Amino acid sequence: MSTTRDQKEQKLEVMLQSRRLEPASPDLAERIVHKARHLTQNQTVSLTQWMKGLFAEFHLPRPAYVLASALIIGFIIGFTVPQNTTPADDADSLSVQSFLYADEDDL
Amino acid sequence: MVAGWSEKDDHELLARIQAGSRDAFAALVQRHTERFYRLAYRYVQNREEAEDIVQDAFLKLWEDPGRWQPERNSKFTTWFYRVVVNLCLDWQKKKRPSALDDEVSEPEGESGLDIAAIQRQEQKMLEREIAALPERQRAALNLCFAEGLSNQEAAEVIGVRLKALQSLIMRAKATLKERMKSYL
Repeated sequence: MSTTRDQKEQKLEVMLQSRRLEPASPDLAERIVHKARHLTQNQTVSLTQWMKGLFAEFHLPRPAYVLASALIIGFIIGFTVPQNTTPADDADSLSVQSFLYADEDDL
Repeated sequence: MVAGWSEKDDHELLARIQAGSRDAFAALVQRHTERFYRLAYRYVQNREEAEDIVQDAFLKLWEDPGRWQPERNSKFTTWFYRVVVNLCLDWQKKKRPSALDDEVSEPEGESGLDIAAIQRQEQKMLEREIAALPERQRAALNLCFAEGLSNQEAAEVIGVRLKALQSLIMRAKATLKERMKSYL
């Protein structure tokens, strides 16, 4: 009984593995590639990709380089500004203030 | 095709396709058309229809390569088998395959017909019964028996666990054994 069942099982498996298949046209792949030539790509961006792109906009490429550049620029500006200008600046600011408030006395 | 593309793996080709490379697309199509055609043919039993389905699947990938997301899918072929199966199922909802609509008569004694005719009749009957199976059982049979995928890979394509896939195959075979008993 079980031998008959095994034989049936085997025959079914053989039938399943030897199903008829008509071969594809030999130029199918070329046809697909040729059709694709006339189509333009439209890129849809997924939410994850969009988020990644957004964060990439704010990403500092190399934080250490950015810090070093900021320090160098700071030093350059610091050394190029003329020194001992404070008293003269104060005098200038006083004269500007007196000019700005000059009319207030008359009111 | 540009030399060298054939050595690149699927993921690399897909990355190039996403960047707009037609050569990478051509390489991917050349590499996989045959296998996806075989699967589509199992469903539709018609060469032209199967070719149209495969063409449609590849053109959709070309037009919108963002559909392939490597972080979500482990293997291109696993994902693309799913795409092709879905297209085949859509096709079947729209139209029943004419090749399977023919009436199949019960087998006569071997003396009445020649062996080749009996085999053709058996094959026709088998295709008809496979087409009548529930979707997932049919997919399991097509992927494991016709395409020779491992159970694990077929399970990934269908989106079920390994145990569930084995149960789908068992049930499909039991149904076929019952319905094909006069041929076995």
